[in-house]
Amino acid sequence: MEKILEVKDLEISFHTFGGEVQAIRGVSFDLIKGETLAIVGESGSGKSVTTKSIMRLLPESNSEIKGGQILFDGKDLAKLKDKQMQGIRGKDISMIFQDPMTSLNPTIKIGKQIMEPIIKHQNVGKATAKERALELLRLVGIPNPEQRFQQYPHQFSGGMRQRVVIAIALACNPKVLIADEPTTALDVTIQAQILELMKDLQKKIDTSIIFITHDLGVVANVADRVAVMYGGKIVEVGTVDEVFYNPKHPYTWGLISSMPSLDAKDEALYAIPGTPPDLLNPPKGDAFAPRNAYAMKIDLEEQPPMFKVSDTHYAATWLLHPDAPKVEPPEAVKRRMKKFLSEQEGK
Amino acid sequence: MEQREKLLEIKNLKQYFNVGKPNMVKAVDDVTFDIYKGETLGLVGESGCGKSTTGRTIIRLYNATDGEVIFNGANVHGKKSKKELKDFNRNMQMIFQDPSASLNARMKVSDIIAEGIDIHGLAKTKQERMDMVYDLLETVGLNREHANRYPHEFSGGQRQRIGIARALAVQPQFIIADEPISALDVSIQAQVVNLMKKLQKEKGLTYLFIAHDLSMVKYISDRIGVMYFGKLVELASSDELYENPIHPYTQSLLSAIPLPDPESERTRKRKVYNPNIHDYAEGEDVKMREVTPGHFVYCSEAELKQYQAIHAK
Repeated sequence: MEKILEVKDLEISFHTFGGEVQAIRGVSFDLIKGETLAIVGESGSGKSVTTKSIMRLLPESNSEIKGGQILFDGKDLAKLKDKQMQGIRGKDISMIFQDPMTSLNPTIKIGKQIMEPIIKHQNVGKATAKERALELLRLVGIPNPEQRFQQYPHQFSGGMRQRVVIAIALACNPKVLIADEPTTALDVTIQAQILELMKDLQKKIDTSIIFITHDLGVVANVADRVAVMYGGKIVEVGTVDEVFYNPKHPYTWGLISSMPSLDAKDEALYAIPGTPPDLLNPPKGDAFAPRNAYAMKIDLEEQPPMFKVSDTHYAATWLLHPDAPKVEPPEAVKRRMKKFLSEQEGK
Repeated sequence: MEQREKLLEIKNLKQYFNVGKPNMVKAVDDVTFDIYKGETLGLVGESGCGKSTTGRTIIRLYNATDGEVIFNGANVHGKKSKKELKDFNRNMQMIFQDPSASLNARMKVSDIIAEGIDIHGLAKTKQERMDMVYDLLETVGLNREHANRYPHEFSGGQRQRIGIARALAVQPQFIIADEPISALDVSIQAQVVNLMKKLQKEKGLTYLFIAHDLSMVKYISDRIGVMYFGKLVELASSDELYENPIHPYTQSLLSAIPLPDPESERTRKRKVYNPNIHDYAEGEDVKMREVTPGHFVYCSEAELKQYQAIHAK
């Protein structure tokens, strides 16, 4: 259980004309060597901001890391100078973006785009870099790499482009790979290919992955552990089995029961009422309280701490407080829990 | 089952782009299906398979290259007087994918919703017009105070509700929903889908629901059609399609959906579709054939026998 990356009490704000938007309000998590950590949550929950801050890609003009640490390799990334960060970005930590159309430069041949990080970080000549680039193209499953090397991004399909982006990200065998919704723009069949490729490559080069998505199906497929974000905070974290089969936070309950299950057709889908919180004026208590059917008085007054469920499973909800009343989770969640418990007993 | 009334018949519909040029695209190629009154027909397939074009051709946003769309017994395409066209437009409406692009940013919500009411002269007085708008807003779960606002003041889910209210304003029988939830967050998707289901029950609407999110499609649809490269390759009731997919493309599509269940994900086997396995001979008669009752597959005579041998009970 070697920790490769530690994020501690991270706080990030954006300065806008409307005031200060507190996008991240105290986020802590670890990334363990070789694992895939999925971060889920709806748009605006802060999942992309968290990972962009690890890469130090947030615009300096209007964003500010107000507190906390990002510990990697003995260094606090939050405090590094730009120059120092350039030695890490793309080498030790690299990123795959959502839209392969916009993350590649349309005017540069893809071969050159893959060689770029290799030449920059590995101190090798063009010939060696080219060889390595061709090897990478083969690794990510692009046929005829010699010919494809000379082509421009528009000559590739969406799935092939995402493979090129992955090749660039893996060029320097990064220790941490951040994938920000890498398959959202792709079709299901292509998505399945890319997910298989990523899992396969993770084994080959032994990297840790932070995988951001809002698709719970994808999470179930790739993740070892899951962190659920809401309103700029992590509200629940645990192994994939714990979060899917034994969720504790009402927001996780809502997410899980708002997906149609294949057997329940006539029930109305559970919809989380209301809209996400306004982080310009974040609520005093639990940010989820106004949308939470299980909210108690204390939820409106005080933010819940992380309660421990097991060694790997934590959730920030007052419902886990010993004094809280026992509540029944929604039907869809109960069905899952039952399944989990019967499996546990079977073991 | 056979007694159901057909609301819409699509016969050999073809929509080609760039006809006669080297880059001709057969976006919709000889597609035939019916939609019954009161049902939801889901249309799925990967991007570029022609599902959106099919929807847009049905509502006459494109002029069909060939084939017929018969709505309530009358052909949609072909020459029409202004009055006929107006009548047709009133009965068929569309909800678009991107609610921020499909609402005019410079119009108030009340005017967006009432545009159809004005065109068709459904309200006699100003008061009546506003009452209808308020009614519609409440039907889709918004407040009457929202009428005087502009689209940018709303969230994505709320905007999609406005799009739905606009479609409902002229009391249509049939609504084409082109990926109405793809642009929305998971928690908001459920809200919109529930609303669409509720409205269908109350108003007896018929939907053509186009999407690529297969789990939502299964949830909302009575029957589902699968498209691949401009062709409809399989059509069956939604349970039947999921339990007994016959066409190899449908099988590969279903095997690619990740389910929110870690246990089943660990054991999932993905199938890969290779169009060459069909090996159709030149001039072979390949068309939609009924393999089991109500379950149609695009296949040749030989394949039909093969499929029936496997799937007929």
